[in-house]
Amino acid sequence: MKLSIYRYEPEKSAKPRMVDYEIELRGERMLLDVLERLKAEDPSVSYRRSCREGVCGSDAMNINGRNGLACLTNIRTLKEPVVLRPLPGFPVIRDLVVDMTRFYRQYYAVRPRVIANAPPPERERLQSPEQREAIDGLYECILCACCSSSCPSYWWNPERFLGPAALLQAARFIADSRDDDTDRRLEELNDAYKLFRCRVIMNCADVCPKGLNPAAAIEGLRTAIVQRSF
Amino acid sequence: MKAVHGAVRSWALQRATAVFALAFLLYFLLHLALVPPVTPAEWRGWLLAPAMRLAMLLFFVAVALHAWVGVRDVILDYIKPLGLRLGALLLLALWLAGTVGWVALTLSTAA
Repeated sequence: MKLSIYRYEPEKSAKPRMVDYEIELRGERMLLDVLERLKAEDPSVSYRRSCREGVCGSDAMNINGRNGLACLTNIRTLKEPVVLRPLPGFPVIRDLVVDMTRFYRQYYAVRPRVIANAPPPERERLQSPEQREAIDGLYECILCACCSSSCPSYWWNPERFLGPAALLQAARFIADSRDDDTDRRLEELNDAYKLFRCRVIMNCADVCPKGLNPAAAIEGLRTAIVQRSF
Repeated sequence: MKAVHGAVRSWALQRATAVFALAFLLYFLLHLALVPPVTPAEWRGWLLAPAMRLAMLLFFVAVALHAWVGVRDVILDYIKPLGLRLGALLLLALWLAGTVGWVALTLSTAA
């Protein structure tokens, strides 16, 4: 299998370059398996991985021009040579490894936890099945950053626009029946950049490896703000 | 009822003006297709009726407001130096205000 991989080794060269590899397959099915084979042959190739089954979100990368998880990408779906690049719009640390600091800062900025005013009950905070269903399509996010990294609005304003991933998380806690801080959360998002830079391009929904739709969640946030404003 | 504030205001304004502009355009095109005015007198009778003058003025105001929000966003995305950005916004505002002013003048003086 032919691969063309973005290599950036700051100790060797200040400039990144594309390097071609030819790998003999031995029954590998997923792109991550091919990368593991390559890593065994050339240990200098760097990428992140952990669970290898689409739960941890570590191996997000740009595969043939499209963001995705290497572990969930079947190699039969890929045209050769397979071009692998780090996530667009993120600072590259080395090869396919990007700096996620800003991304996580934006995640923390939406206060991604249930904030409840009532004193904690003796047992868990119960939800009805309907209340639980309200966070379906929101809670499954694994923070792989495929969405934010494919969003042109995020490329243009990476410091000020929160990006689809963080906004999906904001929507997740606003939709949560156990959370009492909805007003403040929406108030914080009612800003020219944090939320309203979304132009509904929908690359986020297109690439999400978990099949989520951050654009719809963002639309829900806008609707909620509008409803509270009039 | 709370006062509308924050970025949701421009967002809502852009949606509302889009709806009005679309409704007006649909009416305008349908009218042209179904009861096309032929003679200059018919054209005048249609376009210069007081309600139509008002609707056309509102249409141009709506398009100008819509464009203001949209182009301002584009300018904020692409023009970073403050002076250049303010200059571009000023030009845009003058151009839109000038266009609407010209429309208002034309509509109010046409007989």
